[in-house]
Order: sequence, then C-alpha cells, then structure tokens
Amino acid sequence: MPNKPSLEDIVGIGHSKLGFFKELQHKIEELNRSNMELMRQRKHVQAIVDGIADIVAVISTDYRIRSVNHSYYDIYSGDNPAGRHCYAVFRGRNRPCEQCALKDALEANAVRRQSAIVSVNGENRHFEITASPFGQTDGLPGEIIVVKRDVTREKELRAKYYHAEKMATIGLLAAGVAHEINNPLTAIQGFTDGLRRRMEKLAPHIPDETVKADFNEYLAIIRDECRRCSDIVRSLLTFSPRSSAEFSRVALNRVIDNVLRIIQNRLKQQPGLRIDLALDENLPMVNGLPEELTQVILNLVLNAMDAIADQGTITLRTVFTPEKNSVSVEVADTGCGIAPEKRSKLFEPFYTTKPVGKGTGIGLSTCYHIIGAHGGEIAVESTPGAGSVFRVSLPAAEESARES
Amino acid sequence: MDVRKFAVPEILFGAGSLEYAGLCARRFGAEKVFLVSDTGLEQAGWVGQVLEILKAQDLDWHYFNEITSNPRDFQIVEGARRYLEAGCDVVMAIGGGSPMDAAKGIAMLASSGGRVQDYEGANRIQRPLPPMVFIPSNAGSGADISQFAIITDVERQVKMSIISRTLVPNISVIDPRVLTTKPADLIVSSAIDALSHAIESYVSNIASTLTEIHSLKAVDLIMTWLPCAIEQPGLENLEKLSTASTLAAMAFSNTSLGMDHALAHSLGGKLDIAHGLIHPVLLPPVMRFNMAACPAKMADIGQIVLGKRLDTHEATALAGIEKLEAFFAGLNVSTRLGQIIGDKQSLEKLCRMAARDVCLLTNPRDATVADMLNICKEAW
Repeated sequence: MPNKPSLEDIVGIGHSKLGFFKELQHKIEELNRSNMELMRQRKHVQAIVDGIADIVAVISTDYRIRSVNHSYYDIYSGDNPAGRHCYAVFRGRNRPCEQCALKDALEANAVRRQSAIVSVNGENRHFEITASPFGQTDGLPGEIIVVKRDVTREKELRAKYYHAEKMATIGLLAAGVAHEINNPLTAIQGFTDGLRRRMEKLAPHIPDETVKADFNEYLAIIRDECRRCSDIVRSLLTFSPRSSAEFSRVALNRVIDNVLRIIQNRLKQQPGLRIDLALDENLPMVNGLPEELTQVILNLVLNAMDAIADQGTITLRTVFTPEKNSVSVEVADTGCGIAPEKRSKLFEPFYTTKPVGKGTGIGLSTCYHIIGAHGGEIAVESTPGAGSVFRVSLPAAEESARES
Repeated sequence: MDVRKFAVPEILFGAGSLEYAGLCARRFGAEKVFLVSDTGLEQAGWVGQVLEILKAQDLDWHYFNEITSNPRDFQIVEGARRYLEAGCDVVMAIGGGSPMDAAKGIAMLASSGGRVQDYEGANRIQRPLPPMVFIPSNAGSGADISQFAIITDVERQVKMSIISRTLVPNISVIDPRVLTTKPADLIVSSAIDALSHAIESYVSNIASTLTEIHSLKAVDLIMTWLPCAIEQPGLENLEKLSTASTLAAMAFSNTSLGMDHALAHSLGGKLDIAHGLIHPVLLPPVMRFNMAACPAKMADIGQIVLGKRLDTHEATALAGIEKLEAFFAGLNVSTRLGQIIGDKQSLEKLCRMAARDVCLLTNPRDATVADMLNICKEAW
C-alpha cells in the first residue's frame, strides 16, 4: 500500500463526499471566460464590419433587415432599421423592387451584383450592390449579405473625365477642321474683294441696273458670310491647346466691368432685365488672356439674356475660395433653365438649344476650351423654369496682387 | 481524537422501495444508467425488474455483469471503459458486496481515470464520482452504505481497501423483497458478515455513541431474527436482517473494522472464498484476544447475546463469546479454520499480509503477526 492510512484518515474529518460544486464552479468560471473572449471577438468583428466604409446589411430571405453596420447611418439617417423590409428602408417602396440583386442571389444561390441610382434624402446616389448568400442550411441560403458601395463621387469624376476626354477630342478635331478651312476661306474672301474692285470698273458697262444691283448684293453677301465663317474658324482655333506663356495677370472684376460696357446697348433693348452685381472686392487676380476671359463672361451673360424672355435678373458674383485657392465667377439667371438631358451636351460644339439662325453652338464650347486652357473648370446647375447658374472657377494667381 | 464523523447515504428502506430506483436515478439527472449486477440476480428476475423500472422513467441503460465475487481490478477497468464508451451518467448496482464494490470501482475510474491501485488506501480520490444508486441484494455486505470498496489485485493476490467518503453511494435503496429469492446459506453467511460488522465496529477504537447504538441494535436483531429467518424466510423476518445489516453498515462505515476483517481480507485475497464463512471461524478467538483491551464493551455484546449480565465484565464477555460459538455451530457452517484452508504452512504469510490491512488499525488491541498466528492456530 502506497502510504498506510491512519485513524484520522478513516475518520476523514477533512474529507467529504465530493460533489460537483467545485467542478461546476470551474465550469462556470470557464464559461464566463470563454464568454468574455467571445464577446471580445464579437466586438472585434463588429468593429471590423463597422470599419468597412460600405454599407453592410444582413437581410433575411423575406427581405427583412437583420442588422446593418455603422456606415449605414452615415448615409441613411434614422433609427436601427433591423426588422424592417429592405425595400422600404433603402428605396422607400412598399414591395420588393423589380430589379433585385438579393432576389437574384437567392435564386441563383450565388453572388450577384447590381448598379443602381437611388434617391437618398432627396439626393441621387449611385450604389454598387453586391448580394452574397450565406448561412446555408440544407443547401439553401438562410441570409444574404448585401454590401452597398456608394460610388456617386467616383461616377461623377469618371463622367467628368469622359466628358473632358470627349471635349478634348472634339476640340482637336474642330481646330483641325478650322485650320483646313481657313486657307480656302481666305482665298474666297480675297477673290470676293477682287471681284468687288472689278465691279467698280465694270459698273458703267453694265446697262441693266437690276443686274448690277444683284451683283453688288451677292458680293456683299459672300463677303459677309465669309466674315462669319472667319469668326467661327477663329473661335474654333481657340480649341487647340496653347501654352500659358502668353498669360498675364487678369482681374476678373475688371473683366466683368468690360463685359457690362459691351452689352450696354443690348441691355437697353431688354428693359425688363436687371443685372445684379455681387463682386468680392478683395478678389485675387488670375493668370490668363484678358480677351479670352472677356469672351467667356460675355458669352455667358449673352446666353443668360437669351434665357430670360421678358422679365428677369442676372446676377454676377465673384467669389474667392481660399481652401481651394480658387476664384470663381458665377453668372446666374432667372430664365427658362436647361433640361437635365441637355445639360450633358451643353459644352459640345455645334450643339445649340437656340432657334436656327440665332446660335451657332460654338459659344459655350469655346468657353469650355478657353477655361480648360486656363486650368479652370466651368460647371452648370440648372432648374428648368427657374434658371441656371454657370460657374467658372480659375486658380488664383500667386499671393502677389489683389484687385483693388 | 474527540471529533467524530458520521456519514451515511440517503436510505430508502422497505418492501417496494425498489420501485423508486429509477426515480432516484432520474433525480440525479440520469439519461443513461450504467447498471451493474451478476447472473444470479438476472436469473432471479431482479435485473429485468430494474430495467422495467428504468424504462418506466424513460431512462436508457447499459448493463454490465462481467464481474465475479471478490471483484478483480481488470474487471473494474473494463467496466469503467464501458461506462465511458456508452456515455452513461449514473451508476446503479443491484447485488451483494461484489457488484456494489465493483460499481464503486467503476464509478471511481470512470471519473478519475488511472488504475484501481492508484486509489488504494484512504482519501485518495480527488474528483467527484458519478451519482451512485445501490440496491443491496443481501443483508450483509453493507457496501450500499459504507465508504469502503474492496477490490482484488490479481497480480499481488491481495484485496485492496479503498477508503473514501466519496465512495459512499448517494442513495441506498433497501428492499427486503430482493432477499426472498436468496438461498438459505447465503442468508446465513450474509447475516454472519453483518454480525461481524456490528461486533467489530462496536469495539473499534474510533467508535462513538453515534455508531455504538447501531452496532448493538444490529447484534440484537441478528441474534434474535436469524434463527427465525432460517426457519421461516418470509419478508417480515428478512426485513429484520436487512435492518440489522444496514445498522451494522452505518456503524462500520464510520468506525472501520478490526482484526477479524484484516484476517478475512487476507484469506479472501488468497483463497477467493465467501467472505461470510470466515467469520464464524475467526470472530470468537479474535474477540477473546481483544477482550483484554475492552472488557466492558465485550461484556455489552455478551449481555445481548446471553440476554443477561454475569458478575464481571470478563465473565459476561466470555460467556457471550461461548454462546456465539454455539450459535455459529447451530448454523451448520464451518467453525474450524482447518476446514476452510487445508494448508497450515501458508498461515504465517497470511498473517503478515493481514498485519498490513487497514482494518487492523481500528482493532481495539494492538496485534503482531505472532498474535494473529496464535489466533489462527487457536481457530484451526
């Protein structure tokens, strides 16, 4: 026997029938510990899920939201949407959407993607939606993880980029065409002038006054039209890239003064029109070609005048935005506005909304290229029936001079 | 050493108590009961009845009967393996000392692992055991009450005593009806075993009032009712023996035993003979030897056996022992050691082994190997 028991051992005062209390205590302690660990892990996972910049929602097969991550609240305001239908929460509908990535994913039991533009708090947002089934039971998904990535800004930037690309291509093409047309145009113009001089000598020999008058009129028309062509060609030539070496300091407020002087006469013909000025007197200068910038502002103001049929106001505003180091000129009118579908084509050459004969479709396109060549941007906001705002932004020149 | 401890399991006692065995197991959260028994009880129909009772409680079970009398260590290891393999959660035993001791060993190894030898001695079990519900089928062993388990180490040829309060079963379901199917000789040997428990616990050097009262009542019941039970083995008489056995066990579980059991364990380990048959041979000479240490207590026993007191303690005690010898002789059992073991040569070795037995610790009188050898020779 390993160690001989004593009488005390047999009495066993210190020994009782062992119960499971201690085991239970250990178990409970162990469970508590593992519970804490699970909680910690859960928090960690939740933190990861919340840290995802996209909206992550777990949705049941009956379209009810089980949970969402933190990013949900960045885009959608309001309470925890758990328990509500996804179509109500995300789309404000009262039944499932016709096009539904979740439904597709469920049917295919595979990941499905969808791109959708959704109105959130009155603002259109572009979402890339990924629906992945998970939580399989008996081969059928129990839930769907829906990840909604807000790509509104990316889409905007991409659209802008495509637009800029397109405009550059068109500009290059137009400038090329202009260049090619310039020479024959010069010849036509030269020979027309020659014909006019010959007409002076020929005139006494032409007995028929009517024929003479016709000849003179036709020559005048040819010359006028040639001049018009020249103007267009000159405008188109501004589309081609230039160096900024020829830029000088320009005060935009002075440019506006200039423009107002030019349109003085036309203003008198539109008595219902008012021009309001909101000019920042401390506006920094910009680098550029004064004539071209004048042309841009003039163009925008003339367009604004055209947009206002009878009564209305044009507001010219200059603003300096220090954060962006950007100087902008706003031309706002209370005119007819521009329909959304037309807005994207606005800056393309030969696109015009004006009646035939009234506009060439060159003006805004020229503005776009001029401002582009100045390293700036031109943008438009418009509400049909209420008016439009054209905003030209240019980089401010170095902190050397301010307008005074 | 004045502080004593008295610990017994919950006891369900009475004809019909067996019916509650399943409920008891269920109360311990049982889903699958590990039932230990032997072929004798199967044949008597008791195992089938227990299974019915378990079924009535919607309990699943695993039945184990691969044990012999004087259960062996390897049988315990196999039982524990089966317990764990079957995923049981409560140990139930119906039977005599062997199935119950085996069940204790199985519960022990199932919860703590290792070998039976690892727990030999006192208070070596460190982990709680599965709940144990025991149904004794004899009125003698007291294994349904006690903190002891005796298991044979086959290799060393010794009976290992495992002592632990944790071995006390949770519930003892004592239904005297189970005794009715027992043959008369088994009733007798069990009752003698219980009587030896009662006598040895009474004179144990850690006996206390809490145990003595049980010991004396047990002696009284057995002396009075065993002859009646032999003559008329009806439920009423057997119930008295059940009570006696239970009382004796309540005492000896807390007091341990003495030299008679030390020698009996030693003989049993060597010869694999029925435990109860050794006591008629050894108990009287052991009592005579111990009388010197506790004449008053021996006289108390003598008074019960005789039904009266003589002039002195010694006289009462000696007369009592003589009456006891006559009582044993009347039971038609061997009363000489020579009738049980043929080989006198092995006596010394057996006594040396007995000298190391835990039971000797609580014997009222210190005994050497030579003392025991003398006693054995006296009993030859």
